[in-house]
Amino acid sequence: MPALLEVEDVRAGYGGTSVLHGVSLSVPEGAIVSLLGANGAGKTTTLRAITAGVRWTGDIRFQGRSLRRMSTEDVVRLGVAHVPEGRGILTELTVDENLRLGAHLRHDADVRKDYDEVFAYFPVLRERRGLSASTLSGGEQQMLAIARALLMRPRLMLLDEPSLGLAPMVVRSIFEIIRTINQARGVAVLLVEQNATLALEMSSAAFVLEVGRVAVHGDSSELKGNESVRRSYLGY
Amino acid sequence: MQEFLQQVVSGLASGGIFASLALALVLIYNAMGLVNFAQGEMAMFATFIAFVLIAHGMSYWIAFPVTLVLAFAGGIAVQRIVIRPVEHAPVLTLVIVTLGLATLFNGAAGFLFGYVPRSFPSPFSVQTVNILGAYASYQDLGVIAVSGVVLFAIYLLLQHTTIGLTMRAAAHHPEASRLLGVHVSWMLALGWGLASAVGAVSGIMAAPALLLQPDMMQTVIIYAFAAAVLGGIESPLGAVVGGLIVGVTVNFAGAYLPFVGGDLQLAVALAIIVAVLVVKPNGLFGRPAVRRV
Repeated sequence: MPALLEVEDVRAGYGGTSVLHGVSLSVPEGAIVSLLGANGAGKTTTLRAITAGVRWTGDIRFQGRSLRRMSTEDVVRLGVAHVPEGRGILTELTVDENLRLGAHLRHDADVRKDYDEVFAYFPVLRERRGLSASTLSGGEQQMLAIARALLMRPRLMLLDEPSLGLAPMVVRSIFEIIRTINQARGVAVLLVEQNATLALEMSSAAFVLEVGRVAVHGDSSELKGNESVRRSYLGY
Repeated sequence: MQEFLQQVVSGLASGGIFASLALALVLIYNAMGLVNFAQGEMAMFATFIAFVLIAHGMSYWIAFPVTLVLAFAGGIAVQRIVIRPVEHAPVLTLVIVTLGLATLFNGAAGFLFGYVPRSFPSPFSVQTVNILGAYASYQDLGVIAVSGVVLFAIYLLLQHTTIGLTMRAAAHHPEASRLLGVHVSWMLALGWGLASAVGAVSGIMAAPALLLQPDMMQTVIIYAFAAAVLGGIESPLGAVVGGLIVGVTVNFAGAYLPFVGGDLQLAVALAIIVAVLVVKPNGLFGRPAVRRV
């Protein structure tokens, strides 16, 4: 059985500068996979390639279907929720309107149930429903971004550094919820993270990018013991 | 007091016309970060379409919605055919393109319908009605009612429907909206269609008093600019409030300031634009422009 997401020899860049020099990775159905690497290694660009935010060559397949020449909207509508760098919160709108945008393509009867589930994970969002999203703290905005992605009922979530700029305790609780969502819903997650310790703890497999190529990959538990990964990314 | 009330009512009637055109400007400003200098000419052209429909025997209240639908489709067509190819061009290019559109619509109207001013029918009688001792014309009250209904309908669409929500999202954050599955490009086209239809309302409401000819909207658009700037160029609510304030102010100035009279009313609108830009550049309802560096 093919993996849920397969990225094969993808090259991409901005203008004349190429950033990805042939990245290959895969995310199995229902798994959490982390994508590690230093700043500028191409982690964000890899995610952007998947949702057509940057031009690419090679092949990317989702549920066996090639995403070549698809627009961002089309990829998203297949069931890929991308929480971008900076979270992509629409600060002119209210918290509730942000959530409604997550669910706006759905017409099934479960939407109400999903709202309840989301509010159970993030009670603070229920309290702040009517407020402008710009009034939320960084952690709350990250929660809103994940909640909104969840309301899209995705098969795959792409999370770009959910821990960025957040207090360690907030990061812990957000990661626990990501794990819960993954287990309860079977949503696969491709997680880009600077915090390699945390990412390896969460994921079953990991890919390490170095200047636009996958340098190392394998089971997360194996990588934790890998000498060079440990020295470069875990810092001990 | 009586005359004062009369001036308020006729000021609100002009205000409704300015508000509709100002709202059209704001809708497109939000969709492309630029005012559409052709907005008035598009409204004028739509009014000619209504004129032709009525001249061919269609009743006013059928021709009115039919014109709005045609204006809506026309607005979408203009966005798809003319604006979309230059979407990512520098601002100056877009300014020139919309100025070109204005000239095009003006010239096309002159070519097709001529430059002789034509009287445009109004469904409201010029009779007056006594309200609280003041006399208001049915014409003014009708314009206020029609503008009010149209503006309220736009408000409901933008604030209380999913399509309105996705339009606002696409206008403010195109990238983030795409990641939520919003077809941003089509939402911007929809904004153009909506703006074109609201603009048509202002043209049709203005035509009975101004007489229909290709240059009809060229002063109205200045008042609409004043209204939009006063309200804060990004705010639909601001455009409406701004339109009403400009309408009433200009009317008062004409009636009570002898040196303004009928001749200098346009100067009052320009004075409002300058004053707002100097005193409160973000307008009444605008947010301060914050740039992260």
